[in-house]
Amino acid sequence: MPVRLREEGRMFDPPPEKLTPELVFREYAPRIYNIARRMLGNDADAEDVTQDVLLQVVRKLDTFRGDSQLATWLHRVTVNAALAHRQKRANRQKHENHEADEDSLGAGSSPTPGRKWDIGPEETVLAAEQAGIIEKAIEQLPEPFRDVYVLADVEGLPNNEIGDMLGLSLPAVKSRLHRARLRMRDLLAPHFEGKVTP
Amino acid sequence: MNCNELLEVLLDYVNGEMLVESRTSVDVHIQGCQHCGILVQSYVHTMRVAKALPKCKLSAAFEAKLRAMLEPELKGEKPKPTS
Repeated sequence: MPVRLREEGRMFDPPPEKLTPELVFREYAPRIYNIARRMLGNDADAEDVTQDVLLQVVRKLDTFRGDSQLATWLHRVTVNAALAHRQKRANRQKHENHEADEDSLGAGSSPTPGRKWDIGPEETVLAAEQAGIIEKAIEQLPEPFRDVYVLADVEGLPNNEIGDMLGLSLPAVKSRLHRARLRMRDLLAPHFEGKVTP
Repeated sequence: MNCNELLEVLLDYVNGEMLVESRTSVDVHIQGCQHCGILVQSYVHTMRVAKALPKCKLSAAFEAKLRAMLEPELKGEKPKPTS
């Protein structure tokens, strides 16, 4: 029976087979890379993080008592590694890296009125071009918003787990997620708004 | 309910985390406000498209590099200690 790689709200589904380095490599390397790539916005950084995390997990396999323990651990380690990598990159670029507080991210203006979006009611299949547009929009999100949007809406993690991983309160997670969605809406509107009827 | 109030509760509304009475207030407002109707439609769509994104794939070259790095572990050998 094929392993279900993803279900609602779970980033890493515990596979039913025994944990071996080969299985971990095959099943988890793509998923580690997926989240790192979206959080960091480029292939090179995502590859560095994937390498570090994968090495850690493969060498610690004996210490995991079960699949679900590994899955939980992988969530945290991947996110922590991505955040650490970003911090290192910021230090290397000699930028002051202030912890973003809610005020510095902008109060957010009221959403501008727009036209109805030209989308099907349950559209879930993206054309390649659309996927590219959405990926670019995610990359344009400020990092504090991007992290929450990726973990919540792309990866489907619950808000309390995201708060634990990012060191945020639940209200802070919800606030950032809300503002991330509004920004995404602004970024995607030119591509999805229906044409004006004369 | 006015448009600003709807904006404040929009996340809870789309996540299904509101009391029935509050949810009804939002529904009534949306029915009477074109701007908010569009806002909710597009807001929900940003969630849907995120969920529908295909997974980022490892390049063949990177996968080969990972395999080479993990070769001892993948073969079931103990890795050599790093100096």
